Amino acid sequence: MRFLMTTKGGSRTPDAAMMAEMGAFIEEMTRTGVLLATGGLEPGGLRMISSGGEITVTDGPFTEAKEAIVSFALIEARSREEAVELARGFWKIVGDGEGSVQRVFGPEDAPGPGPR
Amino acid sequence: MTSLDAHRVADAVWKMESARIVAGLVRMVGDVGLAEELAQDAVLAALEQWPEAGVPDNPGAWLMAVAKRRAVDHLRREERRDRGQEQLAHDLASRPDDGERDVDDVVNALDGEVGDDVLRLMFVSCHPVLSTEARVALTLRLIGGLRTDEIARAFLVSESAVAQRIVRAKRALADAHVPFEVPSGPDRAARLSSVLEVIYLVFNEGYAATAGDELMRPSLCLEALRLGRVLAELTPDEAEVHGLVALMELQQSRSAARTGPSGEPVVLHEQNRGRWDPLLIRRGFAALLRARQAGGPLGPYVLQAAIAACHAGAATPEETDWPQIAALYEALVRVLPTPVAQLNRAVALAMAYGPRAGLTLVDTLTGEPALKGYHLLPAVRGDLLARLHRHDEARTEFERAASLTRNSSERAVLLRRAATCAEEAGKAGETGKAAETGKARGAGETGEAGETRGKAKETGEAAEAGGKAAEAGEAGLADAHVTLGGAAGLFLARPDLSADTMRSYRQTLTRLCRHLGENAPLRDVTSHRVAEVFAAAWGTAAGATWNRHRAALRSFATWAAERGWAAADLAASLDRRPEPRARTRSIDRSRLESLWKRPDIPLRERTLWLLLYESAAPAEWALSLNVEDLDLPGMRGEVKARGHWLRWQSDTAALLPLLVEGRRRGPLFLADRRPGPGRMPVAADLCPDTGRGRLSYERAEYLFKRATADVDPEGSGCTLHRLRHSRLAHLGEDGWSAPMLMSLSGHGSVRTLHGFVRIPRPADTVA
Repeated sequence: MRFLMTTKGGSRTPDAAMMAEMGAFIEEMTRTGVLLATGGLEPGGLRMISSGGEITVTDGPFTEAKEAIVSFALIEARSREEAVELARGFWKIVGDGEGSVQRVFGPEDAPGPGPR
Repeated sequence: MTSLDAHRVADAVWKMESARIVAGLVRMVGDVGLAEELAQDAVLAALEQWPEAGVPDNPGAWLMAVAKRRAVDHLRREERRDRGQEQLAHDLASRPDDGERDVDDVVNALDGEVGDDVLRLMFVSCHPVLSTEARVALTLRLIGGLRTDEIARAFLVSESAVAQRIVRAKRALADAHVPFEVPSGPDRAARLSSVLEVIYLVFNEGYAATAGDELMRPSLCLEALRLGRVLAELTPDEAEVHGLVALMELQQSRSAARTGPSGEPVVLHEQNRGRWDPLLIRRGFAALLRARQAGGPLGPYVLQAAIAACHAGAATPEETDWPQIAALYEALVRVLPTPVAQLNRAVALAMAYGPRAGLTLVDTLTGEPALKGYHLLPAVRGDLLARLHRHDEARTEFERAASLTRNSSERAVLLRRAATCAEEAGKAGETGKAAETGKARGAGETGEAGETRGKAKETGEAAEAGGKAAEAGEAGLADAHVTLGGAAGLFLARPDLSADTMRSYRQTLTRLCRHLGENAPLRDVTSHRVAEVFAAAWGTAAGATWNRHRAALRSFATWAAERGWAAADLAASLDRRPEPRARTRSIDRSRLESLWKRPDIPLRERTLWLLLYESAAPAEWALSLNVEDLDLPGMRGEVKARGHWLRWQSDTAALLPLLVEGRRRGPLFLADRRPGPGRMPVAADLCPDTGRGRLSYERAEYLFKRATADVDPEGSGCTLHRLRHSRLAHLGEDGWSAPMLMSLSGHGSVRTLHGFVRIPRPADTVA
């Protein structure tokens, strides 16, 4: 099953040592097939609202910087516990911060007698 | 933390770490069974301690440390006389071991050896003294960390059966004194292929469940992928390992599309390709690339992965390069001459060159003992027969296939196809002729199939049979009231069209109706308006697509004209388009002659180009040549990485000594400048005399393009690839045979030489 890990802003800025450690971690996770995709996100971005058939695109307002999602990783794990263990490795490198781990539903989670 | 939570965390950690832990322990105590017991003791300790003390910071390392401590205790207790073991026990026991603070250190200290241990454990678990079932169970248990009940559920056998298999396997390993090592020498290849076989078996059991009600058991697929990736990491130089990983990634990428809404299987060409997982496809391609970089001859897994990649690369089923797939299967049956591979080749041949080409090969397989009881043989045969309109025979085959499969959703599909065939046969009986004409037409079919790539050939058939089908209601329509939509509906309702043909025709006619209006009187539809629709809809599509729609329209036009509903020349404005394979055009001999004579071409370029032309070798081979690999008197040079000799002729031979000019070692073709400090290449790509690097492909290509810009009508110049192929084309014109060209150029397959020489089509050779 797949999980989306996201981290919020506000944690300390990465230094060279942390970047190197994180690079090695990402490489390892990619090689073992755990990590499917990852990336950092620009702060803010664009805000889109669809209401009554009308779509508005604006430059804000956004949630506070420390609430905004700044990075994500899509991982493949056999269980929620395994996902948490993998995320643990990530936080050990990053240090203080906050984020979440959410299950990504796939075709196997579709309602009805579909494939499992 | 509750004990339930601790249990789940311990289970997850165990699954992630078991291979490393057990492998490390086997090296210490020398016995797989004992190692696993010790490891399980550690898990039990975790279940006792974690609920109260909390999960430790690094739970994997905690388990490892506890397990190793138990192993040391055990070795001491046994008081083995074996010096090596005793020494090891002493080493481990004397390591500072107070609490968990230094656990990480212990683990890190051992880490360098752990990878090799896991690899050893994989080889041991897949050892030939074990039965295949035992290998699978033991591998899943030791490397995958699966519990006995999980393995039992995955393979739909009882837990006690699995437990017994594992116990016996461990005993067999101990009895045979199987050493804990990675085999070397000639043994290695055979043992590695046993490991690959086990992994692929696990994958296949998940991918195409042989029994039960569900088509797939995804957890097994993922487990196999994990095993494959672990192995690939440990044996990065083995092309076949990467090939297997690529194959599994690519197959797994289709998993979501393989079953329909009610769990029924969906065949490849009907799958919604939007549901294919692009992340996995990308990883599959990456693994295939690694396989190619590892080099060596193409093995069965790499070839199968290449076939899967052909499918993954086709955006629509129509774009599938079936001739290429058929060629890959041909290469596959050479290295893996199994009846199943032959059966797959037959399917590819049928898709590339028409059902008869496939059926000819399938018919040679029906007596094959290995395929007795294999449901896909009658299933494939049934499909080919149905496409040849031999519905009665097809129905029998589908029913046989249904009785042979153990998977219930697959059985349902086969029975449905049998029923359709029965209907078709019934209808054909009523109208009398269809089945007969189907047979009669078969004979002429292979002749045109090569040209039209499978689908379009059905036009002729359909038009011919069309007149004989007398549908109810048809006669009641007065000419003036026939609408485009109505006629299209009747045309598609004819009983003599196969499902594939009908689907293809429907696409064309639906598009036509949408553009011109369903209620448009057919009389008013002119060839001019049809041509407009075609230009708008498929004007920019591939030639094969255009021709398929054109064929459909021609069939419809003929059918409608016979009834006097439309002008016969509806398709008159549509010309058949060429269907070029991506083929490299050759450069004129005269142009090359003048290129060799141009005074402004530097020695290095002139030598390289002549060498490429005379040897007809890939440019990267020529660029990889080193001075020490040259055999100047013999007019040849060895491409070390490929184990292949490049052979040139007198023009190159005259220039080479000038280019070498006293150098004894290093790259033959050098870059113009020395490399910058930031981009220092490896030593093998540096000239020991001048310090310059090897000429890169990109640079060499650029130089040739610049020099040949005037030859190319588009002004961008010719590629080095085109230069090589020009030579092959010229030799082909001079009457060289395919084997001669292959041995010269290093082309692996006759297929890729198409266009240079006349090659018998596979349809001819299997007949």
